[in-house]
Amino acid sequence: MIAFDDVYFSYGDHHILKGVNFQIQESERVAILGGSGGGKTTILKLIVGLLKPDSGRILIDNDDITIKSEDELMEVRKKFSIVFQDGALFDSLNVKENVAFCLREYTKMSEQEIDEEVDELLRIVGVEHAKYYMPDELSGGMHRRVAIARSLAVTKPRMFLYDEATTGLDPVNAENICNLINELSKNGTGHIIVTHRVIDALRVADRFIFLKDGGIALDGDSSVLIRSNISDIVVFINELKYNLS
Amino acid sequence: MSEKIKRLLSELQDYYLLSIQGLLGIFRKPFYSKDAIDQMDYAGAGSFVIVMIVSLFIGMALSLQLSAELGVLGLKMYTGKVVGISIIREVGPVTAALVYCGRVGAGMASELGSMVIGHQVDSLRVFGVDPIKKLVTPRLLSSIIMLPALTIIGNAIALLGGYYIAVFVSHQSGYVYWSSIRDILNFENVFSGSIKPFMFGFLIASISCYMGLTTKGGAKGLRKSTTNAVVFSIIMIIISDFMLTKILLYLLGFSL
Ligand SMILES: Nc1ncnc2c1ncn2[C@@H]1O[C@H](COP(=O)(O)OP(=O)(O)OP(=O)(O)O)[C@@H](O)[C@H]1O
Ligand SMILES: [Mg+2]
Repeated sequence: MIAFDDVYFSYGDHHILKGVNFQIQESERVAILGGSGGGKTTILKLIVGLLKPDSGRILIDNDDITIKSEDELMEVRKKFSIVFQDGALFDSLNVKENVAFCLREYTKMSEQEIDEEVDELLRIVGVEHAKYYMPDELSGGMHRRVAIARSLAVTKPRMFLYDEATTGLDPVNAENICNLINELSKNGTGHIIVTHRVIDALRVADRFIFLKDGGIALDGDSSVLIRSNISDIVVFINELKYNLS
Repeated sequence: MSEKIKRLLSELQDYYLLSIQGLLGIFRKPFYSKDAIDQMDYAGAGSFVIVMIVSLFIGMALSLQLSAELGVLGLKMYTGKVVGISIIREVGPVTAALVYCGRVGAGMASELGSMVIGHQVDSLRVFGVDPIKKLVTPRLLSSIIMLPALTIIGNAIALLGGYYIAVFVSHQSGYVYWSSIRDILNFENVFSGSIKPFMFGFLIASISCYMGLTTKGGAKGLRKSTTNAVVFSIIMIIISDFMLTKILLYLLGFSL
C-alpha cells in the first residue's frame, strides 16, 4: 500500500533522508525505530503528504502522491488515521469536541448520536471521565489516548499511524496503549508505529525498520532485530535486556 | 543578497496567495460560521472596551489642544469642526486599527503560531480540513466586519469626549459644537472615514494569520512571528492610511 522509492528529504541544507526505500502492505504491523532526530516523524509526514520529498517517489496504492495538489491529497489522507507525537489536540476545544471533530466535519449525525459515539470512543481508550476536560487539563497519557480516540473517529482508516504513542508514559499506561493499538489492528487493519522504545515496538509490531544516518540500517522481523550487530541497535537491545533482567 | 531578495519575493507571493484564498473562502463552501462568530466575539466584543477608553481620551486630548490653540486665534467656534474632521477622517480609523492590531492581531499570530508548533494545523490537514478556510477566512471576515463597527463606535465616543472638553472645560456653546459636527457628517467625510477600517481590518488579519501560520521553531519562533505580525501590521496601516487618504482626496475632488 505504501512504497518509498529512493526518497531524499532535507530541511534547508540539513539532510534528513538520503535514499530511503521500503514497501509496506496494508495489513502489516510495522515499527519504525531510530534515534532522536533520525527522521522518523518526517517519514510519517511524508506518507500523508504533509511534506514533499526533494526527490524520489512515494506511492500510496500505486499512486505517486508527490505530484498531487493539496486538494487531491485530502483523498489520500482519508486512507490513514494519524496520531502525532504530541497528540496535537485542538487546545481551544474540549475533549468531547476534539473527538467529535471529524464526526461534525464529515457526517450528518445528530447531537445525540455524536454524544453516544464520543462516549463509545472514549470508553475504548479508557478516558470516559475526562469528556469535558480541556486538553491542558489532561495528563500526558490521557492526552495521547484522547488523540487516539479522535483519530478513531476518522471513517474507516485503512491504516493507523502512531508517532511515539508510548513515549514518556509510565509502564502501565504504555502497556495499555500497546494493547489498544493491538486491539485496533485485530481485524486486519495494519499500523505503523514510530518509537524509540524497543519493548513497545516488540509488543505491537512484526516488522522492524531501523533508521540510521538517513537510510534504512535494518528491515526485518524480531529475530533479525535481536540478532543484529549494528552498534546502535545493540544499544537499543541492551536496554531491552536490562529491562527484562 | 540576491538570495535574500528571492526569499522576500517568494514570501510576498505566499502572503498574497494566503490572503486571496482566505478572502475567496468567504464565498466558497464549506463555511465555518461558528468559527467566524467566535472570532467576531473575541475580536469585536473583546476589543470594545479598550477602543472606547482609547477613543474617549484621544477625543478629549484633541479637543483640549485645539480649543487652546484656536482660542488664541479667536477661532474657538471652529473646535467642533476641526476635532470632528480629524477624528472621522483620520484619527478614529487609525486609532481603532492600532488598538485592534495590538490586541487582536498579536492574538491571532500567537494562537495560529502555537497551533503550527503543536501540530494542530497538521492535524487539520490530515483530517482533510483546509487550514486557510478553517482558520484564516473566519479571522479575515471577522476583522473586516468588526473593525469598521469598532471604528464607528470609537468615533462617536471620541466626539463625545471632544464635546465634554469643549463645553465644560473650554466653555464653548454645546449647540455650536454639535451643529458643526452635524455639518461635517456629509458624504465625503463619512465615506472616506468608513472605507479605511475595511482595508485596515483586512491588512491586520491577513498579515497576522500569515505570520502565525509561517511560525517556525518553538517559543522563540512564536515571539518572532507575534512581533512581526504587530510590526508589519502597524507599518502597513500607516502607509496604507496615507495612500488611501491621497486617493480619496483625489476621488472626492478636494484640491490641495
Ligand atoms: N520544521 C523543521 N525545520 C527544520 N528542521 C526540522 C524540522 N522538523 C524537524 N527537523 C529536523 O529534522 C530532523 C528529523 O526530525 P524528525 O522529527 O523526523 O525526527 P524523529 O526521528 O521523529 O525524532 P524524535 O524521536 O526526537 O521524534 C531533526 O534533526 C530535526 O532537527
Ligand atoms: Mg518524532
